[in-house]
Amino acid sequence: MAFFKKKKIEKDESYYLASQWTLMWRKLKKHTLAKISMVILLILYLGAAFADFLAPYGLEEFSSLYKDTAPTKIYWSDEEGNSCAPYVYKLKKENIKGRDENGKLYMETVVTEDTSEKFYLTFFVEGCEYKIFGLIPGNIHLYGLVNEAGEVDRSARINIFGADRYGGCIFSRILFGAQVSLTVPFVSAAISFVLGILLGGVSGYFGGWIDNVIQRVIEVLSAIPSIPLWLALSAAIPPDISVSAMYLYITIILSFIGWTGLARVVRGKFISLRNEDFVMAARLAGVSDFKIIVKHMVPGFLSYLIVNLTLGIPGSILGETSMSYLGLGMKAPATSWGVLLQETERLADVAQCPWKMIPLIFVIVTVLAFNFLGDGMRDAADPYK
Amino acid sequence: MDNNNIIEVKDLRINIKIDEGTLTAVRGVNFEIRKGETLGLVGESGCGKSLTSKAILGINEKKCKAEGEIWFEADELGRVDLLTLNPRGKEIRSVRGKQISMIFQEPMVAFSPMYTIGNQINEATLLHITKDKKKAKEISLEVMRKVGIANAEKRYDQYPHEFSGGMLQRALIAMALVCNPKLLIADEPTTALDVTIQAQILELMKSLQKDFGMSILFITHDLGTVARMCDRVAVMYLGKIVESAPAVEIYKNPQHPYTQGLIGSVHKIGTKNQERLFSIEGTVPLALNLPAGCGFYDRCHKRIEGVCNVYDPSLVDIGEDHKIACFACTGCPNAPKNQEVTDK
Amino acid sequence: MSESKKILDVQNIHMRFNSKGICVRAVTDVSFTVNEGETIGIVGESGCGKTTLGRCIVRAYEPSEGTVLYTAANGEVIDFLRIDKKTMKEYRKEIQMIFQDPYSSLDPRMTVLDIIKEPILANYPKMPKAEVEKKVMDIAAKVGLNTTYLKRYPHAFSGGQRQRIGIARALVLNPRVIVCDEAVSALDVSIQAQVINLLHDLQKEFNLTYLFISHDLSVVEYISDKVGVMYLGKLVEYAPTKALFSKPLHPYTESLLSAVPVADPTVQNERIPLEGEIPNPANPPTGCYFHTRCRYCTETCKQEAPAYVELEPDHFVACHRARELKLRGFSYDE
Repeated sequence: MAFFKKKKIEKDESYYLASQWTLMWRKLKKHTLAKISMVILLILYLGAAFADFLAPYGLEEFSSLYKDTAPTKIYWSDEEGNSCAPYVYKLKKENIKGRDENGKLYMETVVTEDTSEKFYLTFFVEGCEYKIFGLIPGNIHLYGLVNEAGEVDRSARINIFGADRYGGCIFSRILFGAQVSLTVPFVSAAISFVLGILLGGVSGYFGGWIDNVIQRVIEVLSAIPSIPLWLALSAAIPPDISVSAMYLYITIILSFIGWTGLARVVRGKFISLRNEDFVMAARLAGVSDFKIIVKHMVPGFLSYLIVNLTLGIPGSILGETSMSYLGLGMKAPATSWGVLLQETERLADVAQCPWKMIPLIFVIVTVLAFNFLGDGMRDAADPYK
Repeated sequence: MDNNNIIEVKDLRINIKIDEGTLTAVRGVNFEIRKGETLGLVGESGCGKSLTSKAILGINEKKCKAEGEIWFEADELGRVDLLTLNPRGKEIRSVRGKQISMIFQEPMVAFSPMYTIGNQINEATLLHITKDKKKAKEISLEVMRKVGIANAEKRYDQYPHEFSGGMLQRALIAMALVCNPKLLIADEPTTALDVTIQAQILELMKSLQKDFGMSILFITHDLGTVARMCDRVAVMYLGKIVESAPAVEIYKNPQHPYTQGLIGSVHKIGTKNQERLFSIEGTVPLALNLPAGCGFYDRCHKRIEGVCNVYDPSLVDIGEDHKIACFACTGCPNAPKNQEVTDK
Repeated sequence: MSESKKILDVQNIHMRFNSKGICVRAVTDVSFTVNEGETIGIVGESGCGKTTLGRCIVRAYEPSEGTVLYTAANGEVIDFLRIDKKTMKEYRKEIQMIFQDPYSSLDPRMTVLDIIKEPILANYPKMPKAEVEKKVMDIAAKVGLNTTYLKRYPHAFSGGQRQRIGIARALVLNPRVIVCDEAVSALDVSIQAQVINLLHDLQKEFNLTYLFISHDLSVVEYISDKVGVMYLGKLVEYAPTKALFSKPLHPYTESLLSAVPVADPTVQNERIPLEGEIPNPANPPTGCYFHTRCRYCTETCKQEAPAYVELEPDHFVACHRARELKLRGFSYDE
């Protein structure tokens, strides 16, 4: 991959003609961790975008038989030990009778593998109907099970990351959860971005009492602990609303806090840029204030803003996760990573079903990737130093 | 090694790894400093003068690799090549700060704002001279008085922000001198100061040199301060010394075209205004992928095609303590090979 | 210089900065006149208010008091500090500025072409594109820039070339007065000479008037026709260059001159020591501001501020004892 090849950059004409963004890109490409993070994030976002296709089961598909079951065991060899196409067994309920140490009779229901029939793991099988991006209809899933006759059989399930307490496939749910967990931060970042630039810009440009008022508001807002604030705000959300409305509310609540930091950055940059020689030169040349802001000042801090946003995204991801975890955000069957993590509330759950921690790994990896990417971008943000 | 020399730098090369490749910032520098003398290392930004001085102390950044020899007449170790010492080892630390110390261009950044001036001057004393805190304070106060800090007792407990630039530079000199070093490296010590303060500091350094009997390596781009401070001058261009001579000689009788240009481009007050200042055309090239030949070739008005752009001149004696690296002046354009032999 | 036509008449400029209740007098009562085609050097140590003065004159700052009478090209005299925004835009073109730092004075996000073009676009928005380009090319060639490199960004250029870009930007509006704020201080010696020569050539070609602000006395001596010395926000002496350097009338000038390092080891001029530090401009001394460090100080100096008078023709000074003192300067050999 050319992307990863260490390319020697000569100080040639292309360097001299390179704009700020080109220079930043060149610098970012030298940051190995940021590069790896970018690839990871790309994979995650592609996963979220094509969740319907990649996930073997839809959001509504669960089977009570499978609830709390471990990742499905995949067999690579038949009974005689000869390797064959991978297959799984479906599960069945069995009642076991026995006596305990006091001699009392008891009956227990256990779920065991039904070895009477094999189900083969196959790619591109038909499953539930979906519409990617709400547009492209389809019913083919990346993988699924077919019985020995080659027909799709819904009675057997393959849950590669195990199943949750409703018997849903955790892998599928992680993918669907990513659609919420990975996009909420972006939408809320966009709202913060607008609010931050507007209020920070006003604060930095006009100064005086407007500046004072905005700064005090920011201070008050950032002094409020976030979880009680979420609690208060989500209490205002009507209880039975659609998933998409819920989504909107979460983003608004999150961005409500996010903009304050950004407004401060904008204000600070505004003030420092206002005193730059090139801004004064433009003023002396008779360039209007508005043009100075648009041509010199905004491009001057845009890169810093983007860095700040990137570094703020992990906070939003964690924010959404915590909100949903606390039951303030998405509710099943709609899902997000926070909803999935609700299953790990009790220690006993974690001890008996450790696979329920898998969504946590995704949260950590995503947050780390955004942090590393932001770190790389911060180094690249000012390519002239 | 000449017994008179406190330090001898032989064929020092410094390579810096940067993204674009390896940059040879210092390309074979030779000089020596005699006991009690001040050597001025003059050059424009990027000529490698600061890197050279930092290499002596072993405080260059990791990406800078120094090769060559730096022989120093150390107290306990005897004659030692500083480059062979571990840059974080015990030996170099006994030399650094104690026998060779350094003052920097920006006194404001050389001090930590969190500690009092006295505290910071004491640091070196406690490290190298005595473990007794009371005694250390006395030594520090004495040095502070010597560098002309009035009210030393009061100043001792003040923080850097309470000092003016000139005072801070004095405090920095006090810190450098507290261990009575044999060699003081002064890297642009007066560039950040106003002329009147600059003159004070230069005079102070001169008188202290007499008191302490130390040698000074004075690094600057300002030919005026060099004239005031230095006994001998070495002019650097693009990582090489192109001319070295006693100060009087170099101003009266500069030989290398670069030295001539440098001196000519500074206007002397009191002389008749020429119509135009003499100026060297072009700019200093980047020390990356340098072509063969003399580094000054592109900008030189005396260049000889076929010689200067093919061979790299090395320093040759042309008079009493006067060395120069230039084919056009030394007049041996046909025999660059012989010249290299004689030089060795 | 050619004819002594007055172009700038700076009268009683005051600049006070208020920050957190403390009033800092950056410039106090500065007056001087400038003739067309002249170069005026303003020297002084850091914090003496020379940069502030320059910025007041180009009206980058709004001075607290004072007037700057400017004689426009059409002979009209206007107070540059008291004109409305619209008229300002008309005359702004005629007084431009060159900055010290060649790195921070060019927007790194614009190509050199755009940087030089910007003043034209701001003032002549209707000028046809081809004409703008031609103007930029002409001026770039004038200041010694390779016109094939104009599409490059500033990071492609060295300090000296960047300063040339800054000069081109200042020149593109055909100004008559240019304030050079430490325009060569950040440059290497050999580059400094190139830029000084360039400024010199441009002055002759366009009959420019320079206000050359610098701390480097030898550069100022070379380039200026008249020199003003500032101390603690006040102009203490203002005279033709040679008179000022050979026969200074103010003790501060004398000390300043004696401190100049001369690039000649055989000249070891005796330094006239300047005791102490520059006082805090927020709390200046009584009487003559310089009395705390002056070796000729008397009781009067501590009480009364000296008047700024024309002691000799064209030689202004603010010192009680200027008449009686015999101060030392440079001896000119001719």
